Amino acid sequence: MSAQTTSMRDALYEAPGPKTRRRILIGTVIAGILVCLLVFLVVRQFYVTGQLSPKYWSFFTRPTTWRFLWDGFLGTLKVAAVAGAISLVLGLVLMLCRTSHLKALNVPARIVIEFFRGVPSLLLVYFFFLVVPQYGIKMSSFWMITLPVGLAASGVLAEVFRAGVNAVPKGQVEAAMSLGMRPSKITFKIVLPQAIRFVIPSLISQFVVVVKDTTVAYVVSYPDLLQNARVLISNYDALVSTYFVIAVIYIIVNYLINRAAVTVSRRTGVKIIK
Amino acid sequence: MSSEQNTGSEVAGQVPMIELRHVEKHFGDLHVLRDINLKVGKGEVLVVIGPSGSGKSTMCRTINRLETIDSGEILIDGKPLPEEGRELAAARAELGMVFQSFNLFAHRTILDNVTMGPIEVQGVPRKEAEESAMALLERVGVAEQAAKVPAQLSGGQQQRVAIARSLAMHPKAMMFDEPTSALDPEMINEVLEVMVELARGGMTMVVVTHEMSFARRVANRVVFMADGTIMEEGSPDEFFDHPTTERARDFLDSIKGH
Repeated sequence: MSAQTTSMRDALYEAPGPKTRRRILIGTVIAGILVCLLVFLVVRQFYVTGQLSPKYWSFFTRPTTWRFLWDGFLGTLKVAAVAGAISLVLGLVLMLCRTSHLKALNVPARIVIEFFRGVPSLLLVYFFFLVVPQYGIKMSSFWMITLPVGLAASGVLAEVFRAGVNAVPKGQVEAAMSLGMRPSKITFKIVLPQAIRFVIPSLISQFVVVVKDTTVAYVVSYPDLLQNARVLISNYDALVSTYFVIAVIYIIVNYLINRAAVTVSRRTGVKIIK
Repeated sequence: MSSEQNTGSEVAGQVPMIELRHVEKHFGDLHVLRDINLKVGKGEVLVVIGPSGSGKSTMCRTINRLETIDSGEILIDGKPLPEEGRELAAARAELGMVFQSFNLFAHRTILDNVTMGPIEVQGVPRKEAEESAMALLERVGVAEQAAKVPAQLSGGQQQRVAIARSLAMHPKAMMFDEPTSALDPEMINEVLEVMVELARGGMTMVVVTHEMSFARRVANRVVFMADGTIMEEGSPDEFFDHPTTERARDFLDSIKGH
């Protein structure tokens, strides 16, 4: 997101003068030294406690370890993709109801959106894991994780879509009205196509949240990346090294998603609305 | 069409194209339209001028109900303007509107902007709509831009496309809400030329503008508004050369200043 932060900094602060530049340099050097020191202390502590010993790391040279993690990674992707698709469709529907002039639609939509936005996804997972089966509804562990993650995200996406709709200039609607277009046509032909274009980068970066939410899959024992990592940990008794590796994987995946958002936003000239 | 020609509303027995009767409107405590009575005859070109905040844009926008009114009546071709639904949409389809900020559909090409109304509202087949759209774009001088999107055009070009978009609906009358106010000076004339052309072709027009040269050339009548009322109306020559009210004299002095 470097391009965005640079432009944001340019927008917020004036260009530094000679004194400020020196102060920035000094601050940067001191901060750099402190960070190096911190890293050194952490690594040293790991060394002292034996976390760096080969027994905790050698199993990462075995292909089976990686195949197992790969399976988990695919599980994560599958849950994230399906939950993402659910949240896109449901978010759009919720937003349309929320912006409807009919009280019968917009009041329930508002409640549902606030509910999904407000309730932690872990609680929703517990609901599908513990409560739903009591009513005799049988669900696979895949759906027990995918549904709640998708529902939680749909509340947020409804608001993202709404921000996009609000960003469409009023004149666009007035021009369409003056041509004699009916409200539904105006929504689907004029407003939504522009609104969606505005929010595509925000939707992509929201996908990061979905990916992170999938990690609660361990609650329902669905074999996602984190769940498989936990299996590795209990097999090899290697907590720090395993968590370290999968943290790096999550960071890379989410970094790539964010890069995609920035690329799309730059290509379409659209700002990321949050 | 010369200014000496009978204004439509004065022709005996003819129904005015647009008529406002005792129209009142408030924005909260602000009384923006006070007892507006106005007739625009068929083929008449009416220019509305006045200081900002006088209610002239609001009045213009009430004619196709982009602004609602508190009381009074608005008649289009003798029929009351519907208040909602399919009927209102149908009435709007027969009235063209050109905005200060063009309001071209930003996500569609120039050609799509002009064909959108005929295709989506009137059910004209695409091929036919595209042919007449190209003819209209030719007429306003932007045919070679048809495949571009609005942001790639200059303001003057965009406004001409906006006029073509309205014309594509074959409107009975057209409203222009300060059509040149957002334009760079060098682009004002290309838009005014298109409007002069339209006026000469017999289009009924309500034009909110400060362009006095335009008013003198094509207006049949000038209406001066201030504080939500019509203070004065008359032929362009009468009004610009011999304004009767103090307000109108002050206003004309202030815009003649440059």
